[in-house]
Amino acid sequence: MQKQIIKYSFLVVAISLSLLSCVKDVDFDQADDFEISPVVESSLIFFEGQANRFLLNTNEIVSIKDSVTVEFFNSNFIVDNLIKSEFVFEAVNSISKEFQVRVDLINDLELQVHSFTLTASPSTNGNDVLSDHTEVFENDKLEALKNTSKIVFTLSLLSGETINQSTLGRIKLQSKAVFYLNIGEEL
Amino acid sequence: MMRRFIFFLTLASCCLSFSQNKQILYGFSDIPQSTLLNPGKLIKNDWYFGIPLLSHIHANVGITGSTVYDIFANDGIDFNAKLQNAVYGMEANDFFSVNQQLEIFSGGFSFGSSYEKNEYISFGLYQELDVIAYFPKDLAILALEGNQNNINRSFSTSQVSVAAEAISVLHLGYTKKVNDHFTFGIRGKIYSSIANINATKNKGRFITVRGQNNFYDHIFNLDLEARTSGIASLSEDGSDSNSVARDLKKRLLFGGNLGLGFDVGFTKQLNKQWSFDASLLDVGFIRHTKDIENYKIEGDIVFEGINPIFPDIGNGQTAEDYWSEIEEDFEEIFELDTTATKYTTWRPIKLNTSLNYAFGKKKDKTCNCVKEEGDYLNAAGMQLFAMSRPKRPLLALTAYYYRRLFNGLQIKTTYTIDSYSPYNIGLGMSANLGKLNFYVMADNFLEFKNIYNAQSVSLQLGFNYIFNKNED
Repeated sequence: MQKQIIKYSFLVVAISLSLLSCVKDVDFDQADDFEISPVVESSLIFFEGQANRFLLNTNEIVSIKDSVTVEFFNSNFIVDNLIKSEFVFEAVNSISKEFQVRVDLINDLELQVHSFTLTASPSTNGNDVLSDHTEVFENDKLEALKNTSKIVFTLSLLSGETINQSTLGRIKLQSKAVFYLNIGEEL
Repeated sequence: MMRRFIFFLTLASCCLSFSQNKQILYGFSDIPQSTLLNPGKLIKNDWYFGIPLLSHIHANVGITGSTVYDIFANDGIDFNAKLQNAVYGMEANDFFSVNQQLEIFSGGFSFGSSYEKNEYISFGLYQELDVIAYFPKDLAILALEGNQNNINRSFSTSQVSVAAEAISVLHLGYTKKVNDHFTFGIRGKIYSSIANINATKNKGRFITVRGQNNFYDHIFNLDLEARTSGIASLSEDGSDSNSVARDLKKRLLFGGNLGLGFDVGFTKQLNKQWSFDASLLDVGFIRHTKDIENYKIEGDIVFEGINPIFPDIGNGQTAEDYWSEIEEDFEEIFELDTTATKYTTWRPIKLNTSLNYAFGKKKDKTCNCVKEEGDYLNAAGMQLFAMSRPKRPLLALTAYYYRRLFNGLQIKTTYTIDSYSPYNIGLGMSANLGKLNFYVMADNFLEFKNIYNAQSVSLQLGFNYIFNKNED
C-alpha cells in the first residue's frame, strides 16, 4: 500500500512539474523599448481689451510690456521628453489699427534665446478680422525653448488711426501650446 | 529603475492576478488546513500538527484582461503596439492581484465525551500578503495619447484603486458535531498588520473643454488619498536591512497594528449521501494607529491660461502676479498633504458554500459485496466562492470530483468559472505516508502549456503530522 501511495504521489508531482515547465518564448527585455508619445495641449496666454483701454490720460499707449517667469520649459521632464512644440495664436481685431505682439524667450542669464512676432491686421469696417500665427519649435528653436525661464510679451500698436475715447472695437488674443512628447528611454 | 517600476505597475494593473479562492482545498477534509476554509466541517483526524513553516504554503497570482504573454511574447511584433493593444483591450474593472499565505505553525486535536469524539480544536499562526490593483484605464490612455485628441473627454481619477496588506493572523477554532445532521464551528482571529497601503476611495477627474476666454479650460477636480501604516518607519533615516528585519519580526508577533475577526461555518447532512455546507471567513477589521502616513491630493482648479493684463492699462496687476497666483493654486492642489490620521480597514470577507453528493462504497473482497459500514469513496458537487473587493465582489463557481484512491491517498479535481477564466481546471492530492501527510494542489492546468498566458495561477502545498488512533 505504502509503495503504491509513493508511486502515485510521484506520478502526480511529475505530471504537474512537466506541465509547469512548458513556457512559450517570452522576452522581458522588450520593456527596454517602452515608449509612449502623448500629445498634450494647454492654454497659454489670452487677453481681451476695448480700444479705449489703450489710452493713458487720453494719450495712446504705443507699446505695453509684461513678463512671466516660468520654470516649466526648462524642467527635467520637458528637457528629457519634449520632441516638438507649437505655439498657436489666434487674434481677433475689430479696431481700425494694426497690433503686434512680440514674444521674447529669455534664459536664466537674462539673455534672449528666441523671439517671434504675430500681427493682428486692422479692421476697416468695425468687423472682426482674424489673424493667426503658429510658431513651431523644432531643433535649435526647441533647444531655445528648453532654455527658457522667462517670457516677455510686448504689445505694440502699429499703423492706423490714432486711438481716442471714441474709438470703437476691441482686440482679443487666444493661444495654446501643443507639446509632442516621447517618453521612454529617459525614464 | 523608474521604467521598471512603471512597468511593474502596468503589468500589475493589466496582466496578473491572484485570487484567494482555494477551491481545491475547500472541503478536502483529509487535509487539516481545510478547516481554515470552513470551521464548521469536522476534519478527519485525532490530532495533528503542521510541520513549522511547511504546513501550508499558498500562492496565487491573477490578472484579468491581458496576460504576460500578450505583452511580452517574443513574436517580433512591436512591443509598444502590444502594450497599446493591452491598454485599449482592458477595462477599469480589470485588476491584478496577489495572495500569498505561509503557515508558521498549526495544530489541532479532537475530543469529546462520547466514544466518537465530536469536537475539534484547531489553532495556528499564519502570515498573509494580499495585493489588489485595478487598471486605471483613463490615466493610461491619457499617458498614451495626451489630451489633444481627447478634448471634452473626462479622465476619471477614481479608477485608481490599490490595496495591499501584509498581516499575521493568530487563530483558534472550535468545531462541534452536534448530531449526525449538523456540525458547526467558529474561529476567532487576532490580526497584526505588518504593513498596509490603502488607496481605494479616490475620486475626481481631469477634463479639457473649449474655453470662453481662451482655447481651452483645463478642469482639475481631484480628491485622491493613499493611507499607509507600517511603511514610513521602514524608510526612515538610520534604518538598515537588519533593523527592518527586526521590526518586521516584531510586527509578525503582534507588534503591529492590531485587529480582530472571526470565521463561522456549518455543515448540514441532508441525508446519507447529500450534504450542504457554508462558511463566512475574515469578518473583521484592523485598526491602524501606529506608524501612519497618509497622503492626500485635493482641490479644484480651472486653468485657462495666463492673462497678461498689461499693468499699464489694467488694475496694476502684472502677468507675473497673475501667474504666481495660478502657480500657487497648482502647488496647493498637487502638493501632497501628509497626515497621520488613524484609520480602519476591513478584511476582505469570503463566502464559501457547497452542495455535495457522496457515492460508491468500497467493495468487500471477502464477500464481493458492498460494505455497509465505512465512508463513501467518491464525492461530487458544486462550490460557490465570493469575496469582497474594493470595486466589486469576486465570484467563482466550481464543480468538483473527489476520490479516495486508497486509505492514504485522495485526489480532487475541480472545474472553475471565475473573473479570470471560464475554463480553470484544478487538481489536488493528499497523501499519507505513515503519519506524514503531504498535499499539493494547483489550478489552471489548461494554461500550464504556457504559464505566461495564464490569467491566474495558484499553488498550495504543505506537510503535516497526522495521528489517528484506529488506522487501518
